[in-house]
Amino acid sequence: MNELLDSLMQDARLWQGYQPSRTSPPAAPSGFAELDRLLGNTGWPRGALSECLMDAPGIGELQLVLPLLQQLSRAQQTVFWLNPPHIPYAPALAREGVDLDQLVVIHTDNRQDLLWTMENCLRSPVTGLVMAWPETLLSRDIRRLQLAAEAGNNLCLLFRHRKLAEQSSPAALRLELTPGQHQGLDLKILKRRGGWPGQSCTLAVNNRGESVQPDPSPVRVIERH
Amino acid sequence: MLWLYLHFPQLLLDHINRSRQEVTPLAIITGAQPQVIQACLAARQQGVQPGMPLKTAFNLAPDLAMVRMDEDQQTRILEQQAHWLYRYLDRITLYPPDGLLAEVSSVQKLYRGLENTLSLLTEALQQHQLSAHPAMGLTPFAARLTARTGHGICSADTGELERAVAALPLSAAEFDPRTLQRLTRLGLTRLREVFDLPATELARRLTPEVLAHVQRIQGRRPDPQVTWQPPHHFRQRADFAQDIEQAQSLLFALKRILGELENDLRWRQQDTDSLLLVLHHRHHEATRLRLRTTGPEHRADAFMNLLRIRFEQQPLVAPVYQLELVVKRFLSRQPDQHQDLLEQGGSPQEAWNTLISRLQARLGEQALSQLSPRADHRPERAWSADRLQAQHNNALPAASDRQLTPPRPLWLLSKPQPLTVTPGVWLAGPERICGGWWDGQKVQRDYYTAQLPSGQLAWVFRDVREGWFIHGWFG
Repeated sequence: MNELLDSLMQDARLWQGYQPSRTSPPAAPSGFAELDRLLGNTGWPRGALSECLMDAPGIGELQLVLPLLQQLSRAQQTVFWLNPPHIPYAPALAREGVDLDQLVVIHTDNRQDLLWTMENCLRSPVTGLVMAWPETLLSRDIRRLQLAAEAGNNLCLLFRHRKLAEQSSPAALRLELTPGQHQGLDLKILKRRGGWPGQSCTLAVNNRGESVQPDPSPVRVIERH
Repeated sequence: MLWLYLHFPQLLLDHINRSRQEVTPLAIITGAQPQVIQACLAARQQGVQPGMPLKTAFNLAPDLAMVRMDEDQQTRILEQQAHWLYRYLDRITLYPPDGLLAEVSSVQKLYRGLENTLSLLTEALQQHQLSAHPAMGLTPFAARLTARTGHGICSADTGELERAVAALPLSAAEFDPRTLQRLTRLGLTRLREVFDLPATELARRLTPEVLAHVQRIQGRRPDPQVTWQPPHHFRQRADFAQDIEQAQSLLFALKRILGELENDLRWRQQDTDSLLLVLHHRHHEATRLRLRTTGPEHRADAFMNLLRIRFEQQPLVAPVYQLELVVKRFLSRQPDQHQDLLEQGGSPQEAWNTLISRLQARLGEQALSQLSPRADHRPERAWSADRLQAQHNNALPAASDRQLTPPRPLWLLSKPQPLTVTPGVWLAGPERICGGWWDGQKVQRDYYTAQLPSGQLAWVFRDVREGWFIHGWFG
């Protein structure tokens, strides 16, 4: 069977669906080889929305976008953080080589303001990336944002709760993020434009809390006090 | 020396008319027994004439809008006119409430002749929708008197100007009523006849003040003028005949004022980044809207867009009868480095400023912030959120040595949360952070990196007194 397939492929009589088409949409490399491979050897889709669905912060979700942040902020493109759930910690970002002058944090009071702000940011030529943590978004809101991202050819990442994985969404890329083995990040593609869902990989983001040698028996240290 | 006097017969009327979109009859009234003193074209077409009692005027034009004359207000309006006239004329003296004097012999050369000067001025007056009676004179007083008759002449011919003043009726010469009466009783009707009287006789029979008055008209006595200096700020008002209830209706008047601001800034070769808009209400405290742009700006369109967003967010609290735009902060204009002949569209700097100004106009300035690290041992004080800088800083980040600085989480909780579950894996720590004894906010904590059973990587600490807390997430 395999020999037959090989011969068909060599004769170019078999068309393979997972190969990226020649006119692959513009994308920004994610900085992770495994992820780029899953995304059809491209990266984060430009001019489209991407959703990251997860349960709680602290599983390495910012590590996922950190290469993007470094790359964009050095290219003097502005990264907007809209309604982040916690404070993006400046010393840690500076330590990772992100240019803080290019980060703008925005807090909005309601959904209308959030949508308006996102649309304006996405349409602007100064924007590199818009990251948003929306409370609720309707399907038609996402479509509006999708149009804005297309108009500005910008990257937009929405961080939403994992329970929304079952709902459909017009976003071009949907990733499900879960904590993996050994502090890694498990990543599953729920939807990808021009590709199949269901692929998954584990990103090694396990060194994010380290650099000081772990204490061999921290529990005893605690008890001594 | 040659003087030019501009008499504005209906300054208040013109001022209010400029801020109106629709053409309805409008009159300026005065007195306890209200009387029309100025009437717009639409009102005059319906038969309303200056000098008519208000009752009659109402019968002729039932939808007549009226505004009570206010001399202080008109004086302020006069000063506004001086502001832009200063671009054309030199040595301006204000004659409140309705006139303005300038010395023209010096600017003649600039505009290549008197005719050019006058045509330029007429055009500018039309552009500002102002009706004015100009007149020239050899003395300031003579120019004023001929202008106020409405039939002044504009010429540099000395003989012609002298004849025009001499031909003025005595009633137009601004004598006090008693003097006017005595001169009339003497059988005099024109100024020429007064000029012909011997000076000593005039002083003896009447009073020395009358002689001084006549000599000032003739130019035989010095008549020093106080020249007006333009203020170092921009201030324009618009008054409305009917109170404005919708913010959108203010935009019409604002558009004109912002256009004048743009001209003013262009003339100064300066930019600004902050406007103050004051809306006056009749029974309510005035609304003060401060509008900031992120970068230096002078274009009326840019200010207009921001104001539009602002008004969408903030409806009027009460009807507005007067608005005022003040600009006190001027910035020197920066040459645009990014723009060249081939590059279409604005520079990235300009696009950034436009975007940030738009966002700030809608969300408020405090909604946007930029982060920066601060030198403090305490994690909650080792960062700050600052208002966005007006200048987009293009400096590259200072290279921080990853090896030397201890790991920090990318998320910091605004307030440490009590740790309620037992962490599954301990990854790093302890790192003792102790400080703050110098300002009373003392902390002594041991920080660990730990993974919670939920899979989240947390930055937890143990406080000396209070126990275990989560202070951040390694996102």
